[in-house]
Amino acid sequence: MLNPLRSEREAFRFLLYVVIVAAVVVALVLLARAIL
Amino acid sequence: MEAASIKAGHAAHPEHDHHGPPEANRSSRVEPQLLGMLLFIISEIMVFGAFFTAYFFIRVVGEAEWPAAGTELPKLIAGVNTAILLSSSVTMHWALESAKSGNRFGLQAGIFTTMLLGATFLFIQINEYVHLGFAPQDHAQGSVFYGLTGLHGAHVFIGLTLLAFATARAFRGHFTPTEHRGVEVPGIYWHFVDAMWVIVYVTVYIV
Repeated sequence: MLNPLRSEREAFRFLLYVVIVAAVVVALVLLARAIL
Repeated sequence: MEAASIKAGHAAHPEHDHHGPPEANRSSRVEPQLLGMLLFIISEIMVFGAFFTAYFFIRVVGEAEWPAAGTELPKLIAGVNTAILLSSSVTMHWALESAKSGNRFGLQAGIFTTMLLGATFLFIQINEYVHLGFAPQDHAQGSVFYGLTGLHGAHVFIGLTLLAFATARAFRGHFTPTEHRGVEVPGIYWHFVDAMWVIVYVTVYIV
């Protein structure tokens, strides 16, 4: 299991996941705003 | 003859080879330096949580307009700043991977570039504050905006301080492929600061 506090490598991977999740959230919000 | 007998005595009793104070007691399997940073980061997440609570309270519960009427947040400049900060995480990762593989130039260049990119981020952030046109005391939105971004900026400053020590040590040749904790621990902290900024940027500037 990914533990970002265990090593720098895992922290970096966690950061990439955060970026991906943030991009998906932004896309969904912008899509919802465009539709509604 | 006497020296030879002393040497033989040491060989028979290896506990006599240890000099100085006794080893510190370790109650955890995690290294003390790493454990300290982990506890620090966990407490930091709680601090940011308190500030995000204030943000969501005025936006969701208070249904306040965001940003406040008559104000505008520089999304594009903050977006460029986000890219700068994310780049600094890439160079940080490069620095540590270089340290692990014994690439001294990569370590020095990576960690120094990370510091420069972090300083650039902070400079742009301060410049943004100067030109925003509203102050923390003007309205609740301003208080929350400066609170969240300022808290993050303070963390970048702490990260830069840690990186300054790590950079100085890297240029003095303190790190080896087997001993690089002095880069690993600031690296974990730096990625935490960057991940937190992504969340701050998305919630405060975009959503």
